[in-house]
Amino acid sequence: MLGKFTSVNYVYGKEGTALASSALSDINLTIDDHVFLALVGETGSGKSTLVQHLNGLLLPTSGTVQVSHYLLKTEKKKKYYIDLDKEQGKHPKRKQFKVKDLRKFAGLVFQFPEYQLFEETVLKDVMFGPLNFGMEEKKAEAIAKAALKLVGIGESYYSRSPFELSGGEKRRVAIAGIIALEPKVLVLDEPTAGLDPKGEKEMMELFDKIYQSGKSIILVSHNMDLVLKYAHEVCVMNKGKLLKVSSPLEIFQDEEFLSSTAIEPPLVFKTALELKKAGLDLNLDNIKDIPSLAEEIRKAKKND
Amino acid sequence: MTSITLGKFSLKNTCIHRLDPRLKVLGMLMFLVIIFLSYGVTRQNYLMYGFFFVILLILMIISRTSFLQVFKSLKALWFMMLLLLVINALTVKSGEVWFYIYQLDIHYEAILRWGYIVIRLILMIMTTTLLTSTTKPMELTFALEWLLTPLKYIKVPVHIIAMTLSLALRFIPTLAEEADRIMRAQASRGIDFREGKFKEKFKAVISLIIPLFVSSLLRSGELADALEARGYDPLGKRTKYRKHKWNYKTTLGLLIIAIFLTGIILLAVYQFDFIGMIMGLMK
Ligand SMILES: Nc1ncnc2c1ncn2[C@@H]1O[C@H](COP(=O)(O)OP(=O)(O)O)[C@@H](O)[C@H]1O
Ligand SMILES: [Mg+2]
Repeated sequence: MLGKFTSVNYVYGKEGTALASSALSDINLTIDDHVFLALVGETGSGKSTLVQHLNGLLLPTSGTVQVSHYLLKTEKKKKYYIDLDKEQGKHPKRKQFKVKDLRKFAGLVFQFPEYQLFEETVLKDVMFGPLNFGMEEKKAEAIAKAALKLVGIGESYYSRSPFELSGGEKRRVAIAGIIALEPKVLVLDEPTAGLDPKGEKEMMELFDKIYQSGKSIILVSHNMDLVLKYAHEVCVMNKGKLLKVSSPLEIFQDEEFLSSTAIEPPLVFKTALELKKAGLDLNLDNIKDIPSLAEEIRKAKKND
Repeated sequence: MTSITLGKFSLKNTCIHRLDPRLKVLGMLMFLVIIFLSYGVTRQNYLMYGFFFVILLILMIISRTSFLQVFKSLKALWFMMLLLLVINALTVKSGEVWFYIYQLDIHYEAILRWGYIVIRLILMIMTTTLLTSTTKPMELTFALEWLLTPLKYIKVPVHIIAMTLSLALRFIPTLAEEADRIMRAQASRGIDFREGKFKEKFKAVISLIIPLFVSSLLRSGELADALEARGYDPLGKRTKYRKHKWNYKTTLGLLIIAIFLTGIILLAVYQFDFIGMIMGLMK
């Protein structure tokens, strides 16, 4: 098990004041090991709030969040960071973990991460994270270069200022900054919003590659095409509540559920559904994008 | 972090909140002046300060301003007050000696002078807290613009200044939000804003300040473009969304302030020994 939310509530602002607003209510969720999980829902439904619990930036107002062996909770306004592996220790202090360890375990890429760049050069900015986690300069540089290569930023960019890059390039550099932490889970909050289609595709392919290499991906997205193609599990949120957790296939087929939310299935999937209704024997499981739909149609035709 | 707003305007609706902001600003200026006047001998000064304190306290109670805010501001100044106390004790050597600490003579005068400073500070903080917690930032800029109107005649671009000011005020919460966001983003990259050695703290602050600067510069550029795109002319004549009518109540308020101020200033100028007079009468 990678993570577990148990009756999690989160309230922004001081409780009991006029400014308090509930962003998460009664979230129960179990996240398996090695997942590609998508988190969808309207803006303001609490997706960003939820993912910030995964690396301990936010602690649940009530309930518990467990990520790997790290347990987060608040009791009587006191924050607890409990290391479950050290449960044997009698002294409560001994059971605590350093929140930095969790930050490294779950790398979080914020919405619009390009606003967090600040170093003189692109390379230094990507090295910033690894250095903060106590890595040696040499090793950090090697890792940073590898991460930049992954996101498609060439060597000619290394010594340029991050501020003179285009929006898309900045985004890549910022994502490289988190990939360089080598987290076990990569949490991405709308990483492709505002990128051009080509950039979006490249980014998603990169995340898929990272997933294939054995890590977990948790992705917040509004793009259902991407959800269909890459995610294995989808969490649907609405107004701070978790409405449904299941496979993309199930969610996009569940017309009753879809009509109660603002989720629109991808065009490819709708087409496939219509074709199936019209009598074509398609295996919806295999339909991820246009090429796979074409392949399925070809197969169905052959079987006729 | 997002709780940073200018002076913490509190959402209440008392008669002080509804008062014309121009009157409130004038009233505050008046208090700031009379707090720093001297009214003759020491006991008379303290009496006057006590009187001002009571007035401000009553105003705070009417406007339901919490005294806690004043206390918090004072708490931030405790080191300065302590330093002033030490300096006074060491340097003021006139008048009677009160007591000795080892060889050091502490005079009454030193403590009294320190008392002045502290009381003035308290009164000042009370006054400004009262103003900022009962007046919206926008109303404050309006009042300032109104007060600065005479400067228009010597070609000072008052409404441009006011516009700049209100834009700046408008962006304080936005910036605070942005700072909060950036701090969390950098925390995800292993920065610890709470603990750490000096060098780490320094790095943490840099990683916050630079992105904040960059984004606010970008934002202000965009804002300027947006204003221009909508035909904003800085020299054009402006109208107000919320109008503040100058009615008889305002005039009355102004009169009260004027009379009060004149009275207090007369007291200060003539240093009229009214305590002595009252005591004389009682005999
Ligand atoms: N820093 C904050 N302070 C107060 N309220 C917030 C803050 N961040 C988000 N919220 C509120 O919490 C709710 C959920 O927001 P968020 O998690 O950002 O949603 P999403 O990412 O799904 O768009 C929204 O109603 C939003 O207004
Ligand atoms: Mg969001």
